[in-house]
Amino acid sequence: MAQVEKQPTLGDRLQSLPKWMLYLILIVVMSIPLVFMKGCKVPGKPEESTVDLFYKLMTLPEGSTVLLSSDWTNSTAGESAGQFDSLMRILMRKNIKVCIFTSADPQAPQVARDELMVLNEERKKEGDKPYEQWNDYLILGYFPNAEGTLNAIRSNVRKAFDGKKKLPPGETVPRDVFLSPVLQNIKRVEDFQMVLVITASKTSNITIERLSDKLSADGKLGMMVTGVMGPETQVYYASGQLVGLSKGLKGVFELEQMMAKGLNNPDFATAEIRSEKYKDTPIQGFPGKQNEGKGTKYYPTLHFALGLLILAVIIGNIGMAMSRRQGVEK
Amino acid sequence: MLSQISSWRGAQYLDTGWVGPAFVVVLVIFILINIRRAGGGKDLYIRRIAGLNAIDEAVGRATEMGRPVLMVPGLSDTVNAVVVQALNIFSYVSRVAARFSNPILICCYNAAIYTVGQEVIRDVYNQEGMADKFDPDSVRFISDRQFAFAAGVSGLILREQAAATFFMGEFYAESLIFAETANSIGAIQIASSTESTQTPFFIAACDYVLIGDEFYAASAYLTRQPVLVGSLVGQDWCKLLVMGTVLLGVIANTIQLGPFGHKTITMERSDTQVKQLDNPRPIKISDTFMSQMLNPQEDPELKVEREMDPNAKTEGATE
Amino acid sequence: MNLFLQAQPSFWNAPSYSGELWIKLLLGLAVGVGLIFALMAAPVQVRRPIVAAVTFISGLFYVLFYFWPNPVQRQDGQLPRDFVENVGFQLEDAVQVVVPITNILTALLLGLGIYSLFRIHFRKVSKMQRDWGFSLVLLGSMFAMIIFGYWDWITTHGPNEVLMESRSNWGFANYGRDLLFNGILQQMDAAMFSLIAFFILSAAYRAFRVRSVEATIMLLTALIMMLSLMGAVTYFVDTKMLGDPRPDSMLFNFTLTEVAKWIKDTFQTSSLRGIDFGVGIGALAMGLRLWLSLERQGAGA
Repeated sequence: MAQVEKQPTLGDRLQSLPKWMLYLILIVVMSIPLVFMKGCKVPGKPEESTVDLFYKLMTLPEGSTVLLSSDWTNSTAGESAGQFDSLMRILMRKNIKVCIFTSADPQAPQVARDELMVLNEERKKEGDKPYEQWNDYLILGYFPNAEGTLNAIRSNVRKAFDGKKKLPPGETVPRDVFLSPVLQNIKRVEDFQMVLVITASKTSNITIERLSDKLSADGKLGMMVTGVMGPETQVYYASGQLVGLSKGLKGVFELEQMMAKGLNNPDFATAEIRSEKYKDTPIQGFPGKQNEGKGTKYYPTLHFALGLLILAVIIGNIGMAMSRRQGVEK
Repeated sequence: MLSQISSWRGAQYLDTGWVGPAFVVVLVIFILINIRRAGGGKDLYIRRIAGLNAIDEAVGRATEMGRPVLMVPGLSDTVNAVVVQALNIFSYVSRVAARFSNPILICCYNAAIYTVGQEVIRDVYNQEGMADKFDPDSVRFISDRQFAFAAGVSGLILREQAAATFFMGEFYAESLIFAETANSIGAIQIASSTESTQTPFFIAACDYVLIGDEFYAASAYLTRQPVLVGSLVGQDWCKLLVMGTVLLGVIANTIQLGPFGHKTITMERSDTQVKQLDNPRPIKISDTFMSQMLNPQEDPELKVEREMDPNAKTEGATE
Repeated sequence: MNLFLQAQPSFWNAPSYSGELWIKLLLGLAVGVGLIFALMAAPVQVRRPIVAAVTFISGLFYVLFYFWPNPVQRQDGQLPRDFVENVGFQLEDAVQVVVPITNILTALLLGLGIYSLFRIHFRKVSKMQRDWGFSLVLLGSMFAMIIFGYWDWITTHGPNEVLMESRSNWGFANYGRDLLFNGILQQMDAAMFSLIAFFILSAAYRAFRVRSVEATIMLLTALIMMLSLMGAVTYFVDTKMLGDPRPDSMLFNFTLTEVAKWIKDTFQTSSLRGIDFGVGIGALAMGLRLWLSLERQGAGA
């Protein structure tokens, strides 16, 4: 006897949408904010961890030196490039010297260099002096074996970067980096005013393992990680090992907002962005400068992506509920 | 005042710095004691781990379908404890596959892992008496770039139509790429990541997931070797010690901070010195016993005089 | 004598580019190869203790580095005061020497990996086996990257390094490397990473079903967390619906931001800490078993 094929019910169809359809919907939905919502302002209140990081960066003494582990490449540029831009804008505007190295990926130094070139162009347009290698920043390059490198930095930072030479402006012979204004006062890792890590990999954990006992007590260790790494790094912020933490695209957006509007500025009662913790020390931010970057630009897109994700889960569950009910009725 | 120190006190032991190394020593002792206990013939219990019970089922399914078993020992930069554990598990899987004469494929991220992996699997086939059936190309180096590796493994999964996939070790963003690709061809998947951020992705896409230190328990579970089982029990003792420390911290902080954190102090300990405060102030987390124990302070008056080496280069000498 | 202080001339080092250095390198290579053959010729019963001894000594360095008293306030050019400090000085100086050993090993083994790739894919192309076209693309890309990579390195390394930072001084090799590396590899990396967005959607749609009480709790928690990432939603809920309550008010505890923060601080952080403790202790136990050669099979066999 021939069997009649069971027709899929609406419930069955809702919970088994083909992948190509989901992907097409994703492309269309993600294109809407990118094409039609340029310049759209989305409100948002910064998280405590981002506020702490912003406050710490804005209260660094001018002329001090910061060590930055820039462990990101173009694959995570969506989040990490925005973090790098925000961080460097703050440091450059505060005249803070930066020593950049990487221990995660050989591509990372070039990516950092390219991004710095763009930021320097922006500074020129704003009438500020561009940051100069040797006098204002150093890019020391890639150091393979993150554990070993950070162990070496911990025990003797001069030996860890031993042999690295850069060309001072106007000279023809490269000189030891510890003769530069960036590193001349650095003898130990504790001499850096702050150590920051921008990463999409496990160098966050390795840095905390190796340097936390030297830096955390003085509130000198900060991180900027991708959204996926946020929860695991939050653990270290919650325990006080990190003075501040910026997580993913939302973290970049929050930093950009605070750079534009300040914190508790002009005072706690009337400020757009407020923090009870720092209510006695308002921070002005950088009004009139280019503060908005990738975070503000792509934050609406994040809304659409998350909204679509929630909708897809709801549709799948509605389909499952309908199938079950239809099955029970039969 | 610690203005004079004796040489036997190292920098890491100053103030309360000794707590960390002492804690590690206790953990090591627990593990070694239990390895010894298990070696003495004691039968120690391990609870059921679904993902490991499914290994035989997964390999059997692959054999029925005539499709290979694919394994990825993670994206570690060097041969570390995680990779060795992954290879231990894969040696068990390969043993089962060898008995069924099922082809295997192990994709390595690092050339060192590839070298070690090849020897491990060759040994497995030798032990099974099937040295002639071992294909050296079944263990292969793909790439040491994260997404090139992801692309290569995804391509292999799709072209070879792997019926069972094992992803164990250090995985990062590419974990979902592997899991979804294998899911798209209906492969049975058993996965474990030591990166806790990737575990949710594996849980969403894979059939069985080993969470956290179930990964490290796997070799003891599968082989029941006394050393491994004893080590596992030792790890449980260590976890009890950690829980005890957490409980001690909770009790100590609750007493010191008070239930609403409103207690005030008149003396504080900073830079290893206990000082009288001019005005009482609210107690902070950094004033508590646990915080002071786990965050050693530096004594600014500590001065160490050493002789200078007459042959040493002076600082700032021109290059 | 400090074995690891490279600035001092000793038996263990030689001036760069000197004949003495080449002789010492070749001697070291000969001794190494000789030791390998000696190990292979040794009976199996003897091999295992030798491997265990080498493993133990290698691991002992990091154990000592962790436990041995580190010198306090060490400055450049200082002499150790006694035996304990002397060992501490040596261990600190040795880090710079030991760390590159892993890099050297990895670089050597990379050659083996490349050989394996070449062998597999060249055989596929030469015998025109299934999917040989992909193998041809792989071989072509590999050789192009090697050739342009080294060619670019030769032209940019050395006295021209600063000149070559400016694109106006670039030649064919430099543009070739830039195209292959920055133009193709980096963009393909980004494209592969972008695939994850699609996979997250399909995985979430397929997997997140309310099949049990636990799954329902998990879904609701995930929903709250996702909504808290959306500034527009938190603004609407916290400011428009709840009227932006003061931090000291009871209503503040029910704002979306505060609920998400509470989930992060209580459930998420503590669970992750628990998992991290377990994984860390597992890694410690595994490392201990490897160091003491207590592992009977796998890499230690």
